[in-house]
Amino acid sequence: MREITLSQAVNEAIAEEMRRDPSVFLMGEDVAEAGTPFKVLSGLVEEFGTDRVIDTPISEPGFMGMAVGAAMTGARPIVDLMFGDFIFLIMDQLCNQAAKTHYMSGGKLTVPLVLRTNMGATRRSAAQHSQSLQALVAHIPGLKVAMPSSAYEAKGLMKTAIRDNNPVVIFEDKLMYQDKAPVPEEEYLIPFGVANVKREGRDITLIGTSSMVQVAEKAAEILAAEGISAEVIDPRTIVPLDEKTLIESVKKTSRAIVIDEGHQSYGVTAEIASRLNEKAFYHLDAPVLRMGAMDVPVPFSPALEDLTVPTPEQVAANARRLVAGELIHAA
Amino acid sequence: MAKAKSNTEDYLRMYTQMVRIRTFEDNANQLYLSARMPGLTHMYSGEEAVAVGICEALTDDDRITSTHRGHGHCVAKGAEFKAMFCELLGKAEGYCRGKGGSMHIADQSHGNLGANAIVGGSMGIATGSALRAKLQGSDDVTVCFFGDGATAQGLLYEVMNMAALWKLPVIYACENNGYSEYTKTEEIAAGSITARAEAFGIEAHQVDGQDVLEVNDLARKLVARARKGEGPFFIELMTYRYHGHHVGDINREYYRSKAEEKEWKDNRDPIIRFRAHLVREGIATEADLDALNAEIEKDAAEAVAYALDAAYPDAAEVNQHVYAA
Amino acid sequence: MPRNETYGFGPHDVTMPQLGMAQDAGKIVSWLKAPGDKVAKGDALFEVETDKATMEVEAQASGYLTHVTAAAGEDVPVGQVIARISATAEEDAPVPAPIQKSDADSALPEGKQITMPQLGMAQDSGVLVGWLVELGAQVGPDDPLFEVETDKATMEVPAGASGWVAATLAQAGDEVPVGQAVAVISASKLDAPVARGVAAKAVPAPKPDQKPEAAKSPQPTPKPAPARDAMASSGGRILASPKLRRIAVEKGLDLAQLVQAGHPQPYHMRDLAVLETLAAKAPAPHTSAAAPALRLEAACPKDGFAPFALWAAETHGLRDADALLAGLAGASLGRAATVAVARFGADRTYHVPATRRLSAITTTDDTAELVLRDLRMSALSGIAMGAEDRPVLTLLARGEGLALVLECTPAQLAPDQAIALLSEFAGRMHDPLRHLL
Repeated sequence: MREITLSQAVNEAIAEEMRRDPSVFLMGEDVAEAGTPFKVLSGLVEEFGTDRVIDTPISEPGFMGMAVGAAMTGARPIVDLMFGDFIFLIMDQLCNQAAKTHYMSGGKLTVPLVLRTNMGATRRSAAQHSQSLQALVAHIPGLKVAMPSSAYEAKGLMKTAIRDNNPVVIFEDKLMYQDKAPVPEEEYLIPFGVANVKREGRDITLIGTSSMVQVAEKAAEILAAEGISAEVIDPRTIVPLDEKTLIESVKKTSRAIVIDEGHQSYGVTAEIASRLNEKAFYHLDAPVLRMGAMDVPVPFSPALEDLTVPTPEQVAANARRLVAGELIHAA
Repeated sequence: MAKAKSNTEDYLRMYTQMVRIRTFEDNANQLYLSARMPGLTHMYSGEEAVAVGICEALTDDDRITSTHRGHGHCVAKGAEFKAMFCELLGKAEGYCRGKGGSMHIADQSHGNLGANAIVGGSMGIATGSALRAKLQGSDDVTVCFFGDGATAQGLLYEVMNMAALWKLPVIYACENNGYSEYTKTEEIAAGSITARAEAFGIEAHQVDGQDVLEVNDLARKLVARARKGEGPFFIELMTYRYHGHHVGDINREYYRSKAEEKEWKDNRDPIIRFRAHLVREGIATEADLDALNAEIEKDAAEAVAYALDAAYPDAAEVNQHVYAA
Repeated sequence: MPRNETYGFGPHDVTMPQLGMAQDAGKIVSWLKAPGDKVAKGDALFEVETDKATMEVEAQASGYLTHVTAAAGEDVPVGQVIARISATAEEDAPVPAPIQKSDADSALPEGKQITMPQLGMAQDSGVLVGWLVELGAQVGPDDPLFEVETDKATMEVPAGASGWVAATLAQAGDEVPVGQAVAVISASKLDAPVARGVAAKAVPAPKPDQKPEAAKSPQPTPKPAPARDAMASSGGRILASPKLRRIAVEKGLDLAQLVQAGHPQPYHMRDLAVLETLAAKAPAPHTSAAAPALRLEAACPKDGFAPFALWAAETHGLRDADALLAGLAGASLGRAATVAVARFGADRTYHVPATRRLSAITTTDDTAELVLRDLRMSALSGIAMGAEDRPVLTLLARGEGLALVLECTPAQLAPDQAIALLSEFAGRMHDPLRHLL
C-alpha cells in the first residue's frame, strides 16, 4: 500500500469531500494560497477557488460564529483554527452556540461543522502554541471530538467528521504532519466511537490518544523484550468513546495505563481511568494510571519542554511496576 | 408619520402583529408574576414597531437571529401563540419541546434561527447565514437583531468587517432602547453607534423605532438592495422598553424615571400612533380595531389556557437531541 | 381612546409576584392602597420584601382594590392571590380561593395561621422540635411558640400574633414544608382547640419549574452484597487488588490466610496460587471440617472414550480430545458448566454449553467449577485426596476399562447430585455415543 503523510491525508480527505458535496467549504486564517503555516491545505484553493477556500481576517470568534450560522442554514463549513490554543478565543461560539443549538431548538436546528485544529508540545513553541486542549471541549455535551493517531486515521476520521450532522472538533498533532503511514487509494471512512486495538496483549492495556498511541506502541515493544505482553488501544474519538472495547481489554489484562498529551489533572486520562474504575473494578489487579502532560504551562526551553510529555520509557517503567504488583501511590 | 404607499392589507397586518406582540407580552408578564412560568424573561413591550416594521419586509426564506428580549421578533416572524406559550412554560408542544424556553425560542419554519441568551451571541450566526446565502447563490437576506448593549461586544466588529469585505446580505438591526440592562446607554457607549458601522464602509441609518411605517419603508428598501448584493447595512432603531430589564426589575427609578416612562408610553407608543393613523386615513374604524384587539386577546387567552394544561416533556427526552442523527 | 392597556385576564387577581428566579415567597411590607380605593394600571399597589430587596408592586389592571386577604407583615407564597382588582368597589364577588389552601383547612378554627418559617436560603422544610406553649394557652406576638430545627440550627419561633393557640397542626418530630401552617391563633378562647400531626410525610406541592424525574436512575439497582469473609480481614485492612478479592470470594478463599502465613502484601493475582495452597492445607472455615467429604467410586469395564475421540477427530474434525472429555463431564451435570481438564500438573478450562453439541465447547479463562483429573497414564490404581475447593473427578486406568472417583463436599454437591453426576459420567465414558442421543 502507498504511504502518505498525515498532512496529505487531511488534504485528500477535504478535497474528496469538497468534490462530493458542494455545500462543504473551508474557512480560516491563511487557508487559501498559503495553505496554512503547516501547508496542510496547499492546492485546495487552486481546485476549489476562493469562494470555497476562504481566507479570513485574524478574527477567530468572528469566523467561528459565521461557520455556526452557515451550518445552521444548510452549508457544511470546515473551520481551520491555526493553533489549538486559540480555542480559548472561540469558546462562546463553539460551546454556547454550536454545541447547544440542536438541543436548545428541540432537535430542529443542526450545526454540521468541522473545527480542525491541532495540539502537541515539543515543537519549541512555548506556552501559547503548544497546548493539547481536547479535554476542554470533550467536556461539553453536543460536541464530538476526534484524535487521529496516524495518516490513516486522519483521513478516515476527517471524512466521517465532514459528513456528521454535529459540530466535530478534530485535533491533529502538529508534530505528526510529516509522519507517513499506509493509506489506501480507495475511499474509506472510519466510524466514530470505534476504538482500534493496535496490538494485542495479555498483561496490561495501554490506552493512548493521538501521538500517545505511538508512545504506547514503543513502550509495548520495550515491554515485550522483557516478557510483558501489552495491549495497545487507540480510542480514535474521545467523544463518542468506545467504552466497551476498553473495558473488555482491561477485563482481560487486569491492568491499564491511559496516556494523553493534555494536562493530567481533570483531563482525558482521568475520564477514561475513572470509567474503567467504575465499570471494570472487580477485574483490576492494580490501580489504573493516568499519564498526561505535566500540570505546568508548556515551557520554551527544550531542556524543560521535553520533561513535560510522557515518553515510551516512562510508560514502560510504570507498566513494569503495575505488572510486578508494586504498591503504587502515584505515577 | 412617514409617507408610504397606502396598502390596507399590509397596514392591518402590521397593526395586528404589533398588538399580537403586546398581547403576548402582557400574558407572559402575568404568567411570570403569578409564578406559573419558571425561569427568567424579558419583555419586548414598547419596541413592537421595530420587529414588525422589519419582519414585514422579509419572507419566510429570509432569516433572523434574535435576542434574550426576543418574543417580539418571534411573533413578528410568524410564530404561533400556542407553541410559544408552551415553550415559555417548558411544555413538550413548545417550539423547542420545552428545552429552550423564553430565551431560546427558535422557529426555523419561519426563518427564525433562534433567540440567544448571550448578549451579542448571534452576530456571527447571522453573518454566517448571509455568507451561506452568498456562497450558494441564494437571494435571501439575514437580519441580525441586537440591542445597544451588544454594541459593546467585540464580535460585532469582527463580523461587520467580514460582512463588508465580502458584501454579505446581512442587515444589522440595533434596537437602541436607551438602556444596557440597568445602565443608561450613554454611560456604556462612546461616540456614535452608526459611526461604528460606517467605519467599515457599511451604510448606516438611524430611524424612529416607534414609527412602524418609517421602519418598514427603510427595511423594504434595504432588504431589496441586500438581495442585489449591495449589503451589508446597519440600522439604529430608536426605541424604548416599557418594562425593566427583566420581569421583576420593577423598582428601577435609580436608573430610569417614571416620568420618562410615562412620556414614551403616552406620547410615543407605536400602537397608539399607528392606530390613530389608520383611523385618520380611513383604513379602519375604532370599532374594527377594537374587534381585532378582542380577537387577539381571545387567541392569547386560549393559547395560555392550552399551554397551562399541556404536558411536560417525557423524562426520556432529557437526553434526546444532544446529538443529531 | 384606543385600548392598549390590559389584554387577557378578566377581573384581575392580585398575586404575590415572582420577582426573581427561585423565589418562593415575599413579605408584604405595606399596602399602598386601601380596600375600595380606585387604582389605575401602573399605580404602586403594595410594597413587598424578598431576600434581595424591597420593591413596590404595580397594579396590572385598573379598577377598585377589593378582597384583600393578606395583611402587612405576612409572608405569602408567590402566586398566591392576595387581593382583587374589580370593576366596582363592592365586595360582592366571591372571594378568590387562595391557591395553596388544602381541604383540611376548612375544618380548622378561625384565626391567624402560623406557618413554618423559611429561615435560610434553599431551606425546604423544618422539623418541629416541640411546642413551647400548651394547646389553648394565651400567647402574645413575641412569645416563643415552638422550636424548629433546620439543617443549620435550632430556633425558637415567636407566635407573631396575639390570641389563643386554637390549633396545633404538627407534632414534635414532624417535618413541615416551609410556608405550611403549623398552628392557628384565634382571637378568642376556644372550648375545643384542635391538635393534629402532619398527616403524611409532607411533600412540597409540585411547582411548575420542578424538574421531571431523571430519564434513568444514575445508579444501577444495588445487587446483594457479596459474602464478606474475603473482603474483611480478621485484623486490620488487607492490601489486595479488586480482582484478587473478587476471585477469592468466588472460590471461597480467605485472604487472611496469606497474612497469617506471613506472605508479604499487597496481594495480587500472582499470589492466588500461594493462597490456594494454603487453603488446601488448612481448609477455609466454610469448607467445614465437620462436614465429611464425599468420595464416590464407579467402574467402567470398557474404555469407550479412546475410540470415540478418534472417530470424532476423523469424521467431525473435533481434534481436542480434552474438550470432548470436558464435554462429557460437563454434560453429566445436566446444565452449562465450566470444566478444567488437569493432567501432569497443567490444566485447561472449557466452557461446556447446556446443549449436547460437542463442537460448541470453547476454552475459557473463567474459573472451572468442576475439575477432571486425568490419571489414566499414571500407575495409580486408587485415590483418596479429600475434598478440595471444588468437585474433582479423577480418571484412572483399570485393566481394559476405567475407574472413576468423585470427591467433593456436600456443600459443593449434595449427595444425590454427586451420585447422579458420577453415574452419568460413567455411562458416557463407557459408551460416549449415548451422549449424542
